[in-house]
Amino acid sequence: MISSLSAVLIVSLVVVAFLVASVRDVLAATVVFAAYSLVMAILWVTLQAPDVALTEAAVGAGVTTSLFLVVIVTTELPLAAATFDGTVRRSSVAAAVGVTCVLGVTLPALPAVGSPDAPAFDGVAPYYLDQSVPQLGIENVVTAILAGFRSFDTFGEVTVVFAAGVTVLVIFEKEVL
Amino acid sequence: MGDDRAVDSVVVTQTVRLLSPFVFTYGLYTMFHGASSVGGGFQGGVVVASVVVTLAFAFGIDQTGDWLDRGLLTGAAVLGVLSFALVGLGPLAFDGVSFEFTAYPGEKGALYAVEVVEVAIGVTVAATVTILFFELSGGFDERGGSE
Repeated sequence: MISSLSAVLIVSLVVVAFLVASVRDVLAATVVFAAYSLVMAILWVTLQAPDVALTEAAVGAGVTTSLFLVVIVTTELPLAAATFDGTVRRSSVAAAVGVTCVLGVTLPALPAVGSPDAPAFDGVAPYYLDQSVPQLGIENVVTAILAGFRSFDTFGEVTVVFAAGVTVLVIFEKEVL
Repeated sequence: MGDDRAVDSVVVTQTVRLLSPFVFTYGLYTMFHGASSVGGGFQGGVVVASVVVTLAFAFGIDQTGDWLDRGLLTGAAVLGVLSFALVGLGPLAFDGVSFEFTAYPGEKGALYAVEVVEVAIGVTVAATVTILFFELSGGFDERGGSE
């Protein structure tokens, strides 16, 4: 079952998520969103996924927040009153709750956490776990998959990151080389 | 917008001054040791870039932007993608298919290929995140007047 630490983290995650949506100031919302990422990162650690935790902390809580802050500071802030006035339409609440309930119906169909019968452990996962050291000599299976077995996918991801940089340079019409 | 964005708090500047070398080293460690411990190129690259971002927040975005070489950063981003592509195409020379790192000769050929790939990813990510930050903040705008 869920440990007390995980329970506390999950509850605070939900609380922080509501705060992000309900805080009036955009700057405050950005900072609270960083806190959300930080709680999420700790949760990843408790779920024994340190690689994801490191990414969440560095990208989610760190760099994304600074990018948001910089963009907010260099653009004109909308009036706080115009962003959120505290009233929510009942139909919106009904729709959100309805969708959540419909999605919740699928929850019992999910395998238990860590179950060896989960579909995720059925396909290529055992192969990666077995072959990571003998084939590539890499102890960190996450790295073995990302940079070894599935490096073509990762190459695509790096190209996306690179494209983001190129896009910004093109938009600001900077000829750097 | 205010032009003078330098932050003068001694606590902030001294803390950043003290911590930056350690965070930078941790970023490089994450990048180089992705094969044997937590992390990899993506995470390491972001941590390295975050050092520059922290410096910018502490010592002023414009001042840090002046200190950086835009051409070098763009070149680094290109170099990372190109070296990843080269390592990916390398196995073709050893009767493998592209990105089949096990085709590299030697007992640790695949391991070295993956480590080069990790560093290439790290270089591209670090350079790109730095470019994104300074372009979006206008810190690379030397004249900086028109905004």
